[in-house]
Amino acid sequence: MGFIETTLSSFVSLIPVTLAQSLILSFVVLGIMIPFRMLSFPDLTSEGAFPLGGSVCGVLMIAGSSPVVAIAGALLAGFVAGCCTAFIHLRFRIHTLLAGILVMTMLYSVNLRIMGRSNLSVFGNTTVFDWVPGLQGGFPASKIVVAGIVVLAVFCLLYFYFKTEKGTAMRAVGSNPDMAEAQGINVWAATIGGIGLAGAFSATGGALMVQSQGFADVNMGIGVLINGLAALMIGEAITGKQTVLRQLLAPFVGAIVYYQLVSLCLAAGMPPPDLKLATGLFVLIMLALPSIKRGRGPAAAKETFRE
Amino acid sequence: MLEVRSARKVFYRGQPDEKVALDNLNLTLATGEFGVVIGSNGAGKSSMLNAISGSLVLDSGKILINGADVTSMPVHKRAARLARVFQDPMRGTAASMTVAENMLLAELRAKSRTFRPGLNAGRLAEYRERLSVLGLGLENRLDTKVELLSGGQRQSLSLIMAVSDRPDVLLLDEHTAALDPRTADIVMQATIRTVSSLKLTTLMVTHNMQHAVDFGDRVIMLDAGKVKLEIAGEEKKNVTVVDLIGHFSVKTDRMLLAS
Repeated sequence: MGFIETTLSSFVSLIPVTLAQSLILSFVVLGIMIPFRMLSFPDLTSEGAFPLGGSVCGVLMIAGSSPVVAIAGALLAGFVAGCCTAFIHLRFRIHTLLAGILVMTMLYSVNLRIMGRSNLSVFGNTTVFDWVPGLQGGFPASKIVVAGIVVLAVFCLLYFYFKTEKGTAMRAVGSNPDMAEAQGINVWAATIGGIGLAGAFSATGGALMVQSQGFADVNMGIGVLINGLAALMIGEAITGKQTVLRQLLAPFVGAIVYYQLVSLCLAAGMPPPDLKLATGLFVLIMLALPSIKRGRGPAAAKETFRE
Repeated sequence: MLEVRSARKVFYRGQPDEKVALDNLNLTLATGEFGVVIGSNGAGKSSMLNAISGSLVLDSGKILINGADVTSMPVHKRAARLARVFQDPMRGTAASMTVAENMLLAELRAKSRTFRPGLNAGRLAEYRERLSVLGLGLENRLDTKVELLSGGQRQSLSLIMAVSDRPDVLLLDEHTAALDPRTADIVMQATIRTVSSLKLTTLMVTHNMQHAVDFGDRVIMLDAGKVKLEIAGEEKKNVTVVDLIGHFSVKTDRMLLAS
């Protein structure tokens, strides 16, 4: 009994912190979902865009700009990074995954150049989390409120967007690029814009993370992609992906559930170094499940991704 | 009006397997005219259609639609004037989107897309009406994802989508070839109805000689990237399957049987 009690009590005490963290990281999951599901463009840029957002935000804050301006700067930088990945794929016909790896690797140097060193403390600077009336900045409650409001706003905006004429066209590019082109849709513009948007979200997540934790680190992106992927898969298992609404809910639901699960594992005494192995295995199982269920028979109609 | 002027395209230029796909091909289709293109495999039918739709860039020559030079226009810009139904039912529709969303995409083909909500009650009613013409019950399945439809239903939807905004040129690329005979017949009848009622300038590629005999104002036979033969007017009305097959450079019994 003792084990379960201590596990539960430490898990429960961690819930608010984890919730704040998962709301911030749900932007990264969103930045992974949009390329994968809306554009059929498996994209790895987020692993570089996340620390890019953090670096830009940190440097801007230290230079004295307001926290919102710092986030806007990060968003813009992430957008450009995403556009680069999409452009490399479209123009040079390089596989989407490789294009993402290239950009992510190059961004490591870029991030170091932006910050000038490997980490940067912004502790003591005003952050967006300090602005909640009635709550003391820096505590989970204020982070949950601010991140929650931003998440809600982004969710509503995106849901509206994907139902508009432009948004429908962007989804068509992901569903069938040949058909989209034949229907007068500029596939280049939609892809570059969409992947740029995803990069912008990942970078926003990085910027919020920096303001939340009080420092930017060039290595803060390591593993963020596989965590995001795991979160996305959990989310899709819960919400499904049959409609735009469900597909769009998946990253947020998934992020919240996934980071609570991680917190539960850690509370149960799982050594933190094993976490990435466990996450990787989880993603592998989720990806392998359809093939295992089918047995060794002929491959059923699988999802087609752009190459 | 559609004009193809001395279109030339060579694949694998300078290599041992160099292939002249289009050899100074000339073709003019008057406004409202229905041309049927036949020819053996490798005659250049697909290359010609791809060149007209913009997915194949010509080495030289021009493509004009209603007198406007579209030779250097990318596919998505040409789409404002031109619609195409592919042979493969999977290619012409967005599988993971609903019937209504596919109809919306087609409606917006020539228009600029806005940030206004795409589907509204007015549009849905209009789509329902347009799809009811087919008699396949698609009008009651507007919220169904297209991947759940049969090949024939998808191809019928592609056809309705293609003609939805009265394109200047309609390209039909063996659009019934992948369907079973009964469904092929339904799609073909729907094609003829819409093409004649909207008086669309249409170019249809087919391997079905009976279709070439029965439909269209003119038969255009391609061979080695050139127009080998054109049959129009009275002659077209009296032409038979055997006549047409007689013009193929390689004659096999199988072609006769297949028709």
